[in-house]
This record gives sequence, C-alpha cells and structure tokens, in this order.
Amino acid sequence: MKGLRIYLPFTVNEIKRQMSYKGAFYLFILISTFGSFVSYFLWSAIYGSSPQAVLGGLSRSEMTVYIFMVYVTSAIVNISISDWVSEDVVKGTVAMQLIKPMDYRLSLIARATGVMAYQFVLPSVFIWIGLEVYKYFVLGLGFTALANIGLYLLSSLMSFLIFVLFDFCVGMIAFFTNYIFGLLMVKEALLSFLTGQLIPLSFFPAAVQRIFDFLPFSSMIYTPVMIYLGKYRGGELAWVLLRQLIWVLLLYGLGSLIWRRVTKRLVVLGG
Amino acid sequence: MIEVKHIRKEFVTPKKYPGLKGAIKGLFRREKVRKVAVDDISFTIEDGEIVGYIGSNGAGKSTTIKMMTGILRPTSGEILVNGIDPAKNRKENAAKIGVVFGQRTQLWWDLPLSESFTILREIYDVPREDYESRMAFLNEVLGLQEFFDSPVRTLSLGQRMRADLGAALLHNPKVLYLDEPTIGLDIVVKDNIRKAIRRINREHNTTVILTTHDMGDIEELCSRIIIIDEGRKIYDGTPEHLRDTYGSHRMVRAEVSRPLSGDLWALLQVEPQACIADYDPQRKLVEIRFDKNRLHVPQILHGLMQLTEVSDVHIIETDLAEIVKQIYTHGASEGRA
Ligand SMILES: Nc1ncnc2c1ncn2[C@@H]1O[C@H](COP(=O)(O)OP(=O)(O)OP(=O)(O)O)[C@@H](O)[C@H]1O
Ligand SMILES: [Mg+2]
Repeated sequence: MKGLRIYLPFTVNEIKRQMSYKGAFYLFILISTFGSFVSYFLWSAIYGSSPQAVLGGLSRSEMTVYIFMVYVTSAIVNISISDWVSEDVVKGTVAMQLIKPMDYRLSLIARATGVMAYQFVLPSVFIWIGLEVYKYFVLGLGFTALANIGLYLLSSLMSFLIFVLFDFCVGMIAFFTNYIFGLLMVKEALLSFLTGQLIPLSFFPAAVQRIFDFLPFSSMIYTPVMIYLGKYRGGELAWVLLRQLIWVLLLYGLGSLIWRRVTKRLVVLGG
Repeated sequence: MIEVKHIRKEFVTPKKYPGLKGAIKGLFRREKVRKVAVDDISFTIEDGEIVGYIGSNGAGKSTTIKMMTGILRPTSGEILVNGIDPAKNRKENAAKIGVVFGQRTQLWWDLPLSESFTILREIYDVPREDYESRMAFLNEVLGLQEFFDSPVRTLSLGQRMRADLGAALLHNPKVLYLDEPTIGLDIVVKDNIRKAIRRINREHNTTVILTTHDMGDIEELCSRIIIIDEGRKIYDGTPEHLRDTYGSHRMVRAEVSRPLSGDLWALLQVEPQACIADYDPQRKLVEIRFDKNRLHVPQILHGLMQLTEVSDVHIIETDLAEIVKQIYTHGASEGRA
C-alpha cells in the first residue's frame, strides 16, 4: 500500500480545493436538488393519473426513494475526470503531471476520491437522512435495513470506480483530438439516460434492458439504488455485485491499454 | 550520463484550411502536415556538466527536453539517462530528475506554496530528515521563506520561478532539466537563480541541461553549449571555442576630431575586408571592425593615430549574443565570418 500512499495528498488537496469553492458549490446543490424535485412532481403526476399503483416495478413511494437516492448516488459517483484530462491536454499541463514519478490515472482517481468524500458529506448525507426521515414519518415505510445500507455503500464504491475508470477512457480521446468539450456534453446527456438517472431502467422494454445488461452504465447508478430499495435478493444480488466487479476490472484493463497507446503518440502542447 | 542517439521527432497534424469553407473542407479531406521538430540529434552529457541548449524560436529545444524527460517519445532514435530509457520507464526516470518548464508551473495553483512542497515530499518519498535539511538549503539559496505560506497563484513570476526551481530540487535529482528558467525575470532574480544553479551543480554534482534565449545564462553557467537550428545540431562545444571560431571580429570605436585622412587597411598593408572603418560625422566616431587573427589592437591604434586625432577609445569584444544572432540568421557556415 506504500505505492498508493503517494496519491493521498491529491485526495486531501482536492477536498481543500472543494471547500474553498463553497459559494459556487451551494449554487450547484440548489440547482441539482431543484432538478430532483421537478422529477419528483413529474412522477407524482404520472402515478396520480395512472390506474396502476406499481409502474416499472416501483410503487409511488419507492419511486420517491429512487429519485432522491439517484441524486445522493450520482453526487458521489458521477465525478467527471475527463474534464480534468481535457484541461490538462489543452493547457499542456499534462507535462507537469508526467514529470512526476506517479501514475497519471491514479492521481486523477485520487483527486476524484477527494471530490467524492466531500460530496458524500455535502450534500449526499443530508439528503439521505432527510429522505429516511420522510420515508419513516410521511411514507410510513420504516428505515432502510442496515444490511441494505452496507450493500448500497459497497455497490456505490464500485459504481464510483466504474464511472471514473470509464470516464478516464473518455478523457483519453482528448489526446487524439485535443478538444473534447462537445463530446463531454454528449456524454453527460447519454449517461443521464443510460445510467437510469432520468428514468429507472426497469421502465424500458425487456429487449432494451437485455442490452443494458451488457453495458457498464446500469452498474453506475441504477444498481446501487435498486440494491438500496431491496429489489435484489440472493443469487441476483450476488450477480449484480459481481457484474460491477467485472466492470471495474475490465475498464481498468481497457484504460491501461489505451494509456499505453496514448503515451506512444502523446503530444504535449506548448513550450 | 545522458546519451542521446540520433533522435528524431516528427509531429503529424491534420492540415487546416483557412476560413469557414476551409473548415468544412477539413472535415472531408484528411491531409496531414508533417513537421520535423528534431532531426537526427546526438550528444552525450557527462555527470556534473552544465550544458546550454540554445537555438532560435521553434528550433526544437523544448521538444528535445520533453523527449529527454520522457514525456514525449522520439519518432526514432534512442535516449538513455543513466541507462534508463525515459519514455519507456517514465516513472523510474522521473524519480531521479528535476524539471522546470519556465512557462508553466508544477506547483498547486490554489494551495499555499508550503503545501505543494509537502505533497511533493510524499510523491518523491523524501525522508523527513532529508526534507528538513533540503528545505533549509533551498531557503538559503532561493529565499523561499519570504512567500512560503502564500498561495501559488499570488506569487510574482520571479517568486514562482524560484519556487518551481526549489520544487524541482526537493528530491535531490541527479539531472536537472530547465526549459527557459530565467524567462521574464529581472536582473537580480536572474542572478539569484543562476547562483542557485551553480551551487547545486557544485555541491551535488548535479547535471544541468538548460535552454535559454539569454546569453547571460550561458556565459555565467555553461561550460558547454549545443546549438540547434531547424531541428539539427549545428554546434557542440565550449562557449570560448564558439567565440574563437565564429567571433573572430573585434571592434575598436574611437572618438576623433576629424575624418581619417587615408585608408587604414592600406596603411596596415592588409586587404580591405580585414579592416573596415566607418566614420559617423555627426557623432565624430570611427568604428573599425577587424579580424583579430590578422591584426592586433595596438596596430590599429597606431595606424589610427597617424590618420587622425583620437580623443577616446573603446575596444569591443564580439559577445556571444552577437555571434549567436549571426548564426541564427545566417546559419552556421555563414556565421563563421
Ligand atoms: N504538438 C505539436 N504539434 C505540432 N508541431 C509542434 C508541436 N510541438 C512543437 N511543434 C513544432 O516543432 C517545432 C519545435 O518546437 P519547440 O517547442 O521544440 O521549439 P523551441 O526550440 O522550444 O522554441 P522556443 O524557443 O520558441 O521555445 C516548432 O516548429 C513547433 O511548431
Ligand atoms: Mg521552447
């Protein structure tokens, strides 16, 4: 573990940096929670006008939990390291990373861990607690079982890794085109759809869901949230967790492969 | 020891056409432009040398430094830094080198300088005792304590450059690469930076490779210079040798009361181009440029005094900057005037 210790300062540094940008951050929280509430009222209307009490396998109360847990989860999972890569490439600062005896990808993941740690406290935990209170006193559902919470945290951690490892590969495109801003916008839009952030994946036709099973995106947000809701049991639960682990390993391998190619034809701008 | 063998770097970029029409054309046609930035360069640098790597803008200096530090891979050729290929074993090499790119910083922009050093200490795994003594040394030669607690983004250029040099030296590297370490600095800071480089080189036998556009850096630091032009090496040797080979002209500038009454070269019995005299009637100055291998200052002065009345005399040595300027503008062969 001595090898990983050198990346710790990147994590700590990122937490400090996040703290120094408080103003912008509160605004961000406000806007994104606003989004969750819009989504909440929308789904309430849909459930209200539907003759069925259960849609896409989720009851109205479960949908409420789903919407806010998606928010809690994406705050700790969805950390866009490709933005940093593209900045490093465009400004040429990648040179300053490469002159240090460290792995570029690990340093990015260490930074992302800092952001995750910070966002876990602010805002995730607060919204999470708020949600549990609401669930207990208003929805009358009872608190979520400790086992589910534990599994949720484990699954979210893997989601985080899947997300950043995937996003690293996306960021690598910057080395070939130098400018990936447009691409990053497309990525955001696609991901919000494919990860189940907008609509639970259980709403899609069975055939489409089969395809999602072969993509890493469902493992990013949908899986931990459904675990939290207690939708998986026994063998199925083990399988979704294993699938996450497989994605972690696959994307790690893919990232290493791409990085090796990139360093062969790396171009450092400026100077 | 650093061995650079026949390295070449080619940049391939998609061809850009001007204007909107061009941009659309560029989408369909994939023509490539090849740019050879470094072309078959070889040299060997021994431990403890300070080598100045110079050349005009775009000559390929930064590209060479990037290849030597392992962040760019040569298109062909080989580099070995103490037996390690820096691009293939980047991390292993990076642990033993220090790098300053004058145009950029490796420090953490938002953090106090002190924290950048703490982070670097962890990354380079510098033991605590070494860190303490190293910091004391760096404080002494670079005066870092003045702004040690200020965020890096608030540092002036000179302070930032000192800080960056300090950061590059924290782990006591065997080789120090400096790409324009004195760019934009005032004379005092330049002088401090040079002193620091000299001391580090002397006390730790650190090998230093520096690129610069300031001949003062070369004069004060380098025992060897390598000049490149359009990616090719055109000179490798001592500054003195360069001066002897290319700078064989000297100048005598004299204040006189009247124009010369005859031809100096005729009087001295040499051909006209060996001794060229220009008279400036407004300032009453004669400038005599002569080949120092053929003529000597006393001869010139003696001849001058026979042709006019002299009130003051300056002898001007061709400086390195002048020679280098000639080489940059005319190439190596013509620089040898
Ligand atoms: N990433 C790149 N893509 C295409 N061409 C490049 C790239 N980097 C450098 N070049 C070209 O290679 C040549 C050498 O550039 P380099 O930066 O090495 O010059 P330099 O000697 O450091 O110049 P300066 O004194 O201006 O810093 C230049 O013509 C430059 O345009
Ligand atoms: Mg340069």
